Amino acid sequence: MATVPALVVVTAIIAVPLVIGIYLSFTNYTPVRPTFSWGGLVNYDQIWTSPTIHAAIKNTAIFAGAGIVIEMIFGLFFALLLARKLRGMSWFRVVYMMPLLVPGVASSVAWSVLFNTGNGWINYFASVVGLPQLNWAGGTHTAMPTVIIANAWAGIPIITIILLAGLLSLPKEPVEAARIDGATELRVLYHVTLPALRPVLAFAALFQMVNLFREFAEFAIITGGGPGLATSVLNYYVYQTTFVFGELGLGAALAVLLVGLMAVPLLVIFKLSKRGSAPKWAS
Amino acid sequence: MAVDDLMAPGDVSRASSSPIGSAPAPHRQSPWVRVRRRAGDVLTIVALLIGAAFILLPIFWIVTTAFKPPAEAFVIPPKFIFTPTLSNFSSLLSGQYNQYIDDIGHSLIIMAFSVGIALLLGVPAGYGLARSRFKGSGAITGWLIVAYIVPALVYIVPLYAIYQRLHLSGSYLSVILYYLTFELPFVVFMMRGYFSDLPNDLEDAARVDGCSRFTAFRRIMLPLAIPGLSTVTILACILSWGEFFGALIFTGSSNLTAPVAIEEYMGQTTLDWSALAAAAVFLVVPVLVLAAFVQRGFLRTASSATQG
Repeated sequence: MATVPALVVVTAIIAVPLVIGIYLSFTNYTPVRPTFSWGGLVNYDQIWTSPTIHAAIKNTAIFAGAGIVIEMIFGLFFALLLARKLRGMSWFRVVYMMPLLVPGVASSVAWSVLFNTGNGWINYFASVVGLPQLNWAGGTHTAMPTVIIANAWAGIPIITIILLAGLLSLPKEPVEAARIDGATELRVLYHVTLPALRPVLAFAALFQMVNLFREFAEFAIITGGGPGLATSVLNYYVYQTTFVFGELGLGAALAVLLVGLMAVPLLVIFKLSKRGSAPKWAS
Repeated sequence: MAVDDLMAPGDVSRASSSPIGSAPAPHRQSPWVRVRRRAGDVLTIVALLIGAAFILLPIFWIVTTAFKPPAEAFVIPPKFIFTPTLSNFSSLLSGQYNQYIDDIGHSLIIMAFSVGIALLLGVPAGYGLARSRFKGSGAITGWLIVAYIVPALVYIVPLYAIYQRLHLSGSYLSVILYYLTFELPFVVFMMRGYFSDLPNDLEDAARVDGCSRFTAFRRIMLPLAIPGLSTVTILACILSWGEFFGALIFTGSSNLTAPVAIEEYMGQTTLDWSALAAAAVFLVVPVLVLAAFVQRGFLRTASSATQG
């Protein structure tokens, strides 16, 4: 009984708009037009043919793909380090939690200034160590890496903290047993720790994949989707279509497309996590 | 060589008795092993310091720039030593950005109402899902997870259309309802985890002694869940405080939130970066202060979330 009010509200504010959204995606609805008509597959046809939308799909794949790989690798690396018991570790843990809490708008503003071509600190640091100074957010080829770095700032700690929580809750006996049997640390990692961590790794990847698909503040503040279409990802493009150009019908269709595209990597991660099961002692 | 040690999560157990993670039984290990372990510790600290520097860089930029005289904010090489000033904050109060204090107020109103409603509805729901395994409770949990995962965009577009039809655009109600779409599933899901971890016995004893289900929840289970409840409350507040996308779409000039205000300042032609950094301080510092309180609960939250 206690769940009923929450369930009703969640259904009313999510499921109802969801259904209406799918309906809208078949119409030519715009806020300025009082009446709107059933457009059939017009919006979906436009998705199929529009080069700008194809560019947005490609950019989304690049952003999410590169983002998840970089963030998982570094996230696991730092989680393994933070799980060690050394003096001062609790301070490091506090620092590594900070990006999870800092509002995305604030960090995006900071990164946007730090990556400033003329007098940003990143180019200054680069010149100090003799690296080339780049036109970060303004360059066709550097804009996407800039956003990926800014995203990794929050994404790596998210994965680190999830994996750290997983590592700290693993039973210690199997690791000790393997070590007594003479396994090297690397072997313990590959054959004992990582297999046991598998469900948590999958959860972290799924969670962050969702975040990557719906990232917005970094694109709105650092690049604005540009230069040209260089960082026009689907989420940002739908925002422009719907709320800047007022094409709600097309926006709704693109939103449906976004969910469909997001389901692909999520299903892949889910399948990978189920292939072979985690050792019994880990569950 | 030292990579082996560097990559060893298992050191947790091994080093638990000694403060710096040195070998527990030195007489059994050769000096070489000890040197290697010490080198691993040093490399661990070095790697973590590099990561921490990366993490602290933008926060450091925001805080120092906010207190820097505007003339020195953009000189290259950066001035790390400067005479701190409050002039940037005074321009937030009286200058070009004097709306900002109001916008912080709007953020606080939206946060108070949306988190309040989310807790009111979500805590009992989390308790219900944790305690009674009724038919369909798994489906409800699944639906909440789906609701949380689906990108906001999918229902923001139709919500926008609905709000326009109902003349709700730009109202507090429209923003608060939208915030519930992510805060409510978050609270239910997290509280479900906390309540599942609490022992059943106390509640059962209270029921045997004649408490109603509701009294048992209010007098026994709710007080027990307070540590978890406060963590979830703080995290929900942080979610609301930093939310940008929905606020950008649903707020009007009369109830702009702080993050949207910052984004709008960035679009202005005469941009005062120092004042912008001061504005960002208001976004970041309260969150980091709150973070000090949730620090402990945070790892627990993360681990209970992964068990769902």
